[in-house]
Amino acid sequence: MAIFNLKNREIECKIVYYGPGRSGKTTNLEYIFKTFKKQVTDQLVTIDTEGDRTLFFDFLPMGLGKIRGCDVRVQLYTVPGQVQYSSTRKLVLKGADGIVFVADSFAIRRDKNMLSLKDLDLNLKECGLNIFKTPLVLQYNKRDMSSSADGSIPIMSVETMQNDLNRQLKAPYFPASALTGEGVGKTLKESLKLTLLNLHKELKWAQK
Amino acid sequence: MSIKEQIKSILQEAEIYRTQGLLNEAMIKYKIAAELIEKNVKIESGQALVDGITKKIELLKETISKYNDPDKTPKMPVEIQNLIKDKFSFSDDKESAVLEGAIALSKFGQFERAITEFSELLKNDSLRLVAAKNIIRCYFATSSVDGALSQYEQWLKSGIFHAGQIEKIRLFLENLLKDKGIERRLPLADITADISKEKVVPEETTFEKPVSESMVDIPEQEEMEEDEFLDINSVGIAITTGSQRRQEVVLDVAFQSGKSVSLIVPGREKILIEKFKVGLKLDDVQFYSPIAILNGSGVISAFTKISSGPKMGSYSLDLKIFT
Repeated sequence: MAIFNLKNREIECKIVYYGPGRSGKTTNLEYIFKTFKKQVTDQLVTIDTEGDRTLFFDFLPMGLGKIRGCDVRVQLYTVPGQVQYSSTRKLVLKGADGIVFVADSFAIRRDKNMLSLKDLDLNLKECGLNIFKTPLVLQYNKRDMSSSADGSIPIMSVETMQNDLNRQLKAPYFPASALTGEGVGKTLKESLKLTLLNLHKELKWAQK
Repeated sequence: MSIKEQIKSILQEAEIYRTQGLLNEAMIKYKIAAELIEKNVKIESGQALVDGITKKIELLKETISKYNDPDKTPKMPVEIQNLIKDKFSFSDDKESAVLEGAIALSKFGQFERAITEFSELLKNDSLRLVAAKNIIRCYFATSSVDGALSQYEQWLKSGIFHAGQIEKIRLFLENLLKDKGIERRLPLADITADISKEKVVPEETTFEKPVSESMVDIPEQEEMEEDEFLDINSVGIAITTGSQRRQEVVLDVAFQSGKSVSLIVPGREKILIEKFKVGLKLDDVQFYSPIAILNGSGVISAFTKISSGPKMGSYSLDLKIFT
């Protein structure tokens, strides 16, 4: 739920990185934190993890400066991906203006991707949101792993992932490697674009 | 690919999954590799490899069980607790926002801080009961039953609650104790001493205060909301008869559990019996409680004929309440 201060012409929106456990949501935020230093307005908050697993959420505030006469601030969150943290995911998802779904390209994680997307759909419904109407970008992460270990790791093709996850949604998607940063910026930019456009439709915040 | 190459490839895959934190996947691959070795490699040379893999599997099991341990909720630094309080309260209304912040803290396992926040809300008459119940929940969440009991006794002495409120807290606490297998009768409030207070603040105020939206979204809170729902004595259901005349049929509540009530529909209520079926939504329903009448709706979740006992021939109807 974006906060729009009409008087000061400030808008603050929330983008949530969603996806199965270990798909690379936190790595996305870490890369953004390192790379977009000008836009990052504060520290990346990564709440205590157990073996690099997000137990609660990560939080990264960014300032995009003036866009169409409005000071735009964005807050990036990640949810804990592990199945058992369902209630925390719901809590973090609440008030989201845009979603980035980070899917794992490992073939062995195929079911987990689909289950997590279903979980997102369900949780959005509980927040009164429709997955088809929410600004959503898909990221197919870990593409770099296809060239590792003599190709011994079965990686799904982008087509397979599109068919599994994006056949109906038809959301913008990006192959990526959060570890190397490939596709991370593109994913974020597309998500910001969709989110701000959607908010403009609702709030008419942008000046012509 | 030879068996040797196959085993090597599976082990490589398992190792990558392990380093990626995909522990279950790594374990599966290690098991497959171990089976392949046992089947295809000579016992002498293969056994050492299998033993090594078995050790890895054991280590993975240990790590997985450590990660799955729900009791390990780290205490966060105050700055992060403040961030949670700030970022997970969505209401425009200041008091509701404070309540949401406190609920979020408890949701993230920061019970000590949550108790502090809820305690602040005890000053607010309309949120006092909700805050008190949440405090009790926080004590239970930290397995501090003694803390909850001592808090109740302290509230009992302090007189900050109306008699009706403290009674609700007592029942709430007794139920939580019962869930833990502890049968305990808690001391009652001195009702006569509190009568004047109850007149100053009408009881309805406590219940009319809408439960904030975010609370409904939180599982623990859903339970709390169920517990908090008014005691309903009877339910009035408006029906339209054949002559299109609307009339209200009042049915007694046989049993109530939060927002679900069980009603007895006498066999003579033919119109109702014909109309009622599981899943039917009743839009115009009056819920009669000792202190207020609520308008609302409900959905029939069960409707069965009673086939024995003194109510034989009547119907038992379970209604899920929406208000």
